[in-house]
This record gives sequence, C-alpha cells and structure tokens, in this order.
Amino acid sequence: MTQRLRGFLLGLALCLPALPGAAQLLEVKVGIVPSQASAPYVEATQALVSRLASQGVPRDELEIWSPAELAALPVARLSGVKVWVALGTEAATALAQVQPKVPVLNALLPRSSFERVLRASGRRASARFNLLQLDQPVPRQLALIRLALPKARRLGVLWGPDSLPKAPVLRSLASSQGLALQEARLDEGTSLFAALQSVLDSSDVLLAFADPLVFNSSSIQNILMTTIRAQVPLVAFSPAYVRAGALLAVYSTPTQVGTQSARWVLGVLANQALPEQPLEPDDFEIGVNAQVASALGLSLDAKVLHQALKRQEQQP
Amino acid sequence: MKTPDIRQRMLLAALLPVSLLSVLLSVVFLMASFDDITETYQLRTRSVARQLALASEFGLFAGNQQQLQTLALGALREPDVRWVAILDRQGKTLVSAGETRGEELLPFSSFEKQVFDAQRLLDVLAQPVFASGIKLDDLYEDASKLEPGQAVPLGQVVVKFSRQSMIEQKRDILWLGGLISALGLLFGIVLALRLSAGVIRPMMRVSHLIERIGNGDFSAASRIQAQTPDRDPLHDLQENLIQMADRLAEVQQNLEQQVSTVTQALREKKEEAERATEAKSRFLAAASHDLRQPVHALGMFVARLAQLPHDGQTRQLIGNVEASVRAMQSLLDGLLDISRLEAKAVQIRLEKFPLQDLFERLTQDMAPLALDKGLQLRIRPSQVWIRSDPALLYRILLNLVGNALRYTEKGGVLVACRHTGASAQATIEVWDSGLGIAPEHQEAVFKEFYQVNNPARQRGQGLGLGLNIVQRSCQLLMHPLTLSSRLGVGTRFQVKVPKEASELVTTLAPVTPEQQIQDGLTGTVLVIEDDDLVRRALVDLLTSWGWMVAEARDLKSALELIQGGVLPGLIISDYRLDDTLNGILVITQLRQQLARPIPACLISGDTDPALIQAAQAAQLTLLHKPVRPAKLRSLLRHLLMDQRDPAGGA
Repeated sequence: MTQRLRGFLLGLALCLPALPGAAQLLEVKVGIVPSQASAPYVEATQALVSRLASQGVPRDELEIWSPAELAALPVARLSGVKVWVALGTEAATALAQVQPKVPVLNALLPRSSFERVLRASGRRASARFNLLQLDQPVPRQLALIRLALPKARRLGVLWGPDSLPKAPVLRSLASSQGLALQEARLDEGTSLFAALQSVLDSSDVLLAFADPLVFNSSSIQNILMTTIRAQVPLVAFSPAYVRAGALLAVYSTPTQVGTQSARWVLGVLANQALPEQPLEPDDFEIGVNAQVASALGLSLDAKVLHQALKRQEQQP
Repeated sequence: MKTPDIRQRMLLAALLPVSLLSVLLSVVFLMASFDDITETYQLRTRSVARQLALASEFGLFAGNQQQLQTLALGALREPDVRWVAILDRQGKTLVSAGETRGEELLPFSSFEKQVFDAQRLLDVLAQPVFASGIKLDDLYEDASKLEPGQAVPLGQVVVKFSRQSMIEQKRDILWLGGLISALGLLFGIVLALRLSAGVIRPMMRVSHLIERIGNGDFSAASRIQAQTPDRDPLHDLQENLIQMADRLAEVQQNLEQQVSTVTQALREKKEEAERATEAKSRFLAAASHDLRQPVHALGMFVARLAQLPHDGQTRQLIGNVEASVRAMQSLLDGLLDISRLEAKAVQIRLEKFPLQDLFERLTQDMAPLALDKGLQLRIRPSQVWIRSDPALLYRILLNLVGNALRYTEKGGVLVACRHTGASAQATIEVWDSGLGIAPEHQEAVFKEFYQVNNPARQRGQGLGLGLNIVQRSCQLLMHPLTLSSRLGVGTRFQVKVPKEASELVTTLAPVTPEQQIQDGLTGTVLVIEDDDLVRRALVDLLTSWGWMVAEARDLKSALELIQGGVLPGLIISDYRLDDTLNGILVITQLRQQLARPIPACLISGDTDPALIQAAQAAQLTLLHKPVRPAKLRSLLRHLLMDQRDPAGGA
C-alpha cells in the first residue's frame, strides 16, 4: 500500500509544474493525507492539488503523506504546515491523533463516520477540525424526488443507527412539502426483510440514507430485488447503487470534493477561519439507471435533472 | 510339465503382448472412466447444491417458504437427488422434500460440508446460503466494519445424493471395458493364429522333412520341393535342406557300395578259409581212413601171429611189432576223438556214478603201460559219487594219465580225488613227477598238435592231441580244468566235477574176458568187407577166437550166403562198401531178409562226423579202424550178451 502510494505521488510530483530552486527554501504549508491509494482518493487529491496550484500555491508547499507516514513523522516536520486536509476516515483518525495546532479539513467521508472519529478522539467539530461532509443535504434529495417522481406522495425510509440523526430534518421537510413519511427503524436483530416489506407496502418511493447496517454490499442485492418486486423505486446516495439497480442517486464526485476542499484551504492560507459547523457539498452529480427507469415506465435524464436541481438551488 | 512345442511358443509370443496391452489399456481406460464418473458426480452434486443455495438466497432473505418449497421440489427432480432441505439461519428446517427416512442434518455451518453415508450410499452436502454481495466501492461503506468472511449466512441448504446410479454406471463401464478387452483379445487370438499359421506351417513342414531325412527317406525332399510355392518364407532353408539330403543320399550310396564291396571280399576270404578247413578235414579223414585200413589189418595179423608158437627171439620181435601197432592205433584214436569233438557228434549222457568205477578201469588200462616204463602209477581209491558222463570223463582221465606217463621218466603218476563235505564239487587231480611245463607254454599245451620240446615230432611222444581232447571234453561237460606245473618238478591237472550224495550199492564183481570166453560165446559171424586184405585178417582173427566165419564182399554175396543156408548170429560190416550201398543199409536189408534183429556192428575207417551221426541214428555200434583185437572181442561179447538178455543192456 505504502509503496504504491509513493509511486503514485512521485508520478504526481513529476507532472506538476515545479518551481526550480525554491524547494529547499520554502516550508510545507499544506499537508494532504489521503486514507488510501484507491481511485476516489487519488482523484480527490489530484483535484485538490491542481486547484491549489492553479490558485498559486507552489507545489513545494504541498506535501502528501499516508496515515502511517504521518504517525511516524517528527513533529518538527509538521511545524510549518498551515492547514491539513484529511481525505477519508482513516486519514481523519490519524490527524485526530496527531492533534495539529493548525486547522484540519476532513473531506471525502460521511457525517456519521466523522462523528465516530470525533467520539473516538474526544473532540468536537470546530474551526480547527471540521468536515466537508460527503452526505448530500436532505433538501437536495427531496427536491430531486419531487423533480424526478412528481407523482410520489408517500416516502419510505429505513433508519439505521447512523442515519437516524437525519430523521427530524426529514420529517419536518416532508410534512412541509406534503409528503407522507413511512418509516421503519432497523436495529441489530431486526429482520431487514420484515422492515423493508412494511415500508414498501405503503410507499411510492424509498429514500436511502447511508447506514452500514441497512445498506451494505451484502444486503443491497436483496433490498433492490425486493423494491423492484414491489415496484417501488429506490433513490440512493452513491453511483454504485445506481449501477446495482437503484433508480436515482444524487452524489458528489471526489473531484468535486477535492475542488471544494481546495477553496477552503486557500481561505485558510489567506488567514480565514474554517466554519464551526460541518460543511455540505456544493457541487453534485445525478445518476439514473435507465433500465430500471424504463421498467418502471419512467423516462429520466440525468443531465436534465441536474440542471433543473441546480437551477432550483440557485434560486433564493 | 510338458515343454511347449513351437506352435504354442509362437502363439504365446504373439498373444502375450496383445493380451498384456489389452488388459493394460482396459485397466487404464476403466480407471480413467471411473475417475471421470466420480469427478462428474462430485461436480454435479456440488453444483446442484450451489445452485440450490444461490436460488434459495432471496427466498431465505424474504422468508418465502412457498418459493423455497418449489425450489426444493425442483432440486429433487435432479438426478440422484434423494432429499432436499432448506434451513434458516438458526438451523431450523424451513422446507424439506424427498425421502424422509433418516434426515439427520449436518450441524449448521458457514462452510461447505460433505459427509458420506456408506451404509445407504448417500452423499450429504451442506451448502450455506450467503447474500450475494455487490462490490459497491463507495465512500460510505466503512471498510473497517465489514471484514470479509465474517458474513452471516442467510441459511443452509442440505441435499442428499445417492451414489446408486454412479455405481451402476461404473458397473456398466466395467462390463463394457471387459467386453472390449475380451473382443480385443479374441481378435488378437484370431490374428495370431492366422499369422502364426503362415510361419508355423512351413516350419512344421521343414521339421517333418528333417525327421524323414533322419529316418533315411531322402526322396521326401524332392517330393516336398514340388509342393512348395516359391514365396514360402522358409524356401531357402528348405532348398538347403534338400541339397543336404541329396548329398547325404549320395554319401550313403557310396558307403553302401563300399560296404558291399568289402563284405564281398570278406565273404570270399571266409569261404576260402572254410574251404581250406574243409580240405584239411577231408585230408585228415581221408588220411586217417586210408591209414586205418592197413593198420587195422596189421593189428589183426599181429594178434593172429602172436597166437602162433614162436621161438623167443621171434616172440620179442612180435612184441615190439605189437607195441608199435598199439602206439599207431592210439594215435589214430586221438585223431578220431578230435574229429568227433569237432563234429559235435559227442552226446553227453550225464549220470550219477561212483568215481571209483572209473579209477578201477583206469588201473586196469594204464597199469601195464606204467609197468612197461618202470613208473609207479598210484590211483588212490575214492568213495565219492559224481555226476558226469562216465565215458567222456574216462577219456579225459585216460588222456591225462597217458600224457603224464608219457612225459615222466622217473618217479610216478598219482591220481586222487579231493573233496570236502561242504563243497558241491570234487576235484580229480593227476600228478606227475615229469618234466613240467614252463609257464610260457602252459596255455599252448592245450592246442591241437602242440608238443613241448618235440619239434622233431618223435612218434613215441604222441601227436599232441591228448590235452586238446581233454580241454574240449571238459568244456563240453562244463568241468573246470586247471593246470599247475613247475619245470623239472612235475605237473598237476585238476578237473572239478559236481559231487553227488553217495549211495550204497552192491557192486557185482566185474566179469573178466577170460570168464566170458569160457562162457563159450561162439557161433557164426557174417563179415562183409570189400577190402580183401582186411577181410582176410578179420576172418583169421575171428576164426582164431573160435568163431565160425562167413565172409562176403558185398550185399549180393552176403544174400547168396544166407540163401545158401548160412544163419549168422552176428554181422560185422564195413561201412564203406564198393557198391552204392553202405554198411547201415546192408545190415538193415540183411535183418529184413532174415526177419530177425541180428546183432550187428559197423567198422569204418572214416572219421566223417556224418557217418558217426548216421550210425548213432541206426543204433549201430561203430568201430573205427584200426580196431584193436581186444576191443573187438569185447564188443562182440557185449552184443551177444545183449542178444541173450536184452533187459540187462550195457
């Protein structure tokens, strides 16, 4: 893992326009810690680095470490860093343990994971240790449902321990928008199928919130089969669900996350403080499974929906 | 165990590889097939279990028992499936289908399991059912939370498969394999028989040919040659063999020719030798015959002369003449004996008798000779009884004693019989104190006409026939004869004769000739003799003895005499007469004429064995010329006594 990361980073460094002669003189100002060397992290790192570079941050002022390297670094090496960017849960955990005195922006992880990191390190979300969350804002998801499935009146939701904090927001928004909410709560030991069946029986659409207990790689197949049998479309939170058989998904790509992170890093470098509360993703993408759509007798276009949603959000 | 012949060996050589290959291939084929069948079965059962597990996933997720039941029944329709059960994650049986007998389950497990029930030939496969995962690869999934392999199964599928059909399939394959290899073997046998016949037949033919050549049938080769096609595999060998046979035939022919030539030469030699022997015999016979006539006559004249009164000087002269005649007569007797032995005309008449009888006669006959020579002849009396031919044995003793006396100048001759009670044989010994025989001559003395130290063949020493007669007679009687001698000391001859238990007999006192003469045995004697001189001598002698004598030259004159009134009491006839008739026929005719079996005897100068045998056949006594007067007189007396007392025969 480390070897591969190093290999990638070396390639990255060569690609970047280097400033000759300044390498030894300049201190590292931005520390970037991707959790893994897998595609989404590389994509996000690339987007972050290129955005910063395009905004005039010299390549030499950026340094990329893996979580393991970070733990082994001498404190002196960290002293010049003005801002940290942690990509993913492992990087967030590693930086939470290092406890730098400069602001840390965590990105590319869901709110629930960030909460777990906070709980584990005994910290609180603050301007010094904040999150650019991966979860889409609930209004955006509801707005998408209204756009794509205007006839849907009954909204089904399966809550798990991680997703349950979103329930109050959803309930208030749903009632204000005239949507009937069918909820079911899933705990350890509850039959997923029974809960799912009860929700689907009186729903027009099933809205999924990220929760490992409910939606995971081994359950998703059966959930999707159940929804398809019940003729209830699933609106999900990741492109993988769309590929597996969900009708729709709204999500932010790693590039979008990297780009948004770069904006906040530049702000910190320009001596602006990070906000106290976690940030929501600005930019997003919409995925549509055309086959599921046609099976349900729907005709949806991802681009059209994206533009419509964007337009809606830009309106005051 | 019998050694296999060439045909069997050929078959073996052809069949063994085929059989081995066939068996090997069958085994390999069967093993491969069995492996395939087993593997196929295993794969099939596992795939059925896996497919059922996959298919049951949603049913188990949804708890849809109806669907699961359909699946179970569907699985049951698969071949070899006997029983199907689908269990939920707690291990509780949701549905089951198939034979209910003994459905004990495998413990619930999240791994594949397989158990074999050997008793019922059932494979029990347990397959956990997992939710089929989809790799989401998104950032929401906390990788740390979901460890691979710790997935909780939705349930479990248990399927029982029967191996019955697999076993049957294997059995079928086994049969098929066996059938194929049997067919292969059969094909191999037929092929081997066909192919080997092509080789064996010529070999057998050549073998027979060799056998027949070995038996000497050389012509078989050319006959076979005519029957054999040129493309025969053993054509060359056969050609060579035929050539060899021809050569052999040629060589054999040559050999036969040589052998017959040599045989012919040998036969000629043999015939030549036989002719020579015959000539010798003829000469001997003729010589002795011609010699006998005058000696015979001479003996009788001298006997007659001795009866006349003479002065002392004349009487001494007559005595010398008599001795010379006696010596000549004994020489002729020896020749005669040899002739008879050679003619095998001597018939052995073995009988049991006391040896002492012979010893007494020996004393009588030889004592005067010893006395003449001034020697002492001692014959020790013996009580032993023996089994032998008395006449032949007496001749042997006579010759041995005569020989001993002849070669002894001083001292004496001892005759004795030694025997021990235990021995079955008695040994008659003749000792002398004579010259002795040197060891180098001891074998040769038994040869005819051999005389030690008498190259000049002095007449007084005999002809050298005595020991030859002794040896031949002993051989005839099977009495072992041994000689031991020391030069200048003396000689001992030993004759071993079988001993018999002695009997007590009252021996009659021997009758002396003087007594017989006094018996007045006189009458008419018919003498038939063609030789006038001999007839004259015989007539004179008989007349001097007091006989009336009628004489005839031949049968005709004899018959005339009889017709003239002569009634002979005895006939003495020469054997060889002038006319074609011989003595035997003359006597027969005269007897017929007189109608009486008149006693008769033959006198002949011939030593021809045929004559001797003829005389024996006619039961006529044959006297050989020269006849000693005493012997003649004794014979005549015997004949007349027989005539008078036929039962008292001699």
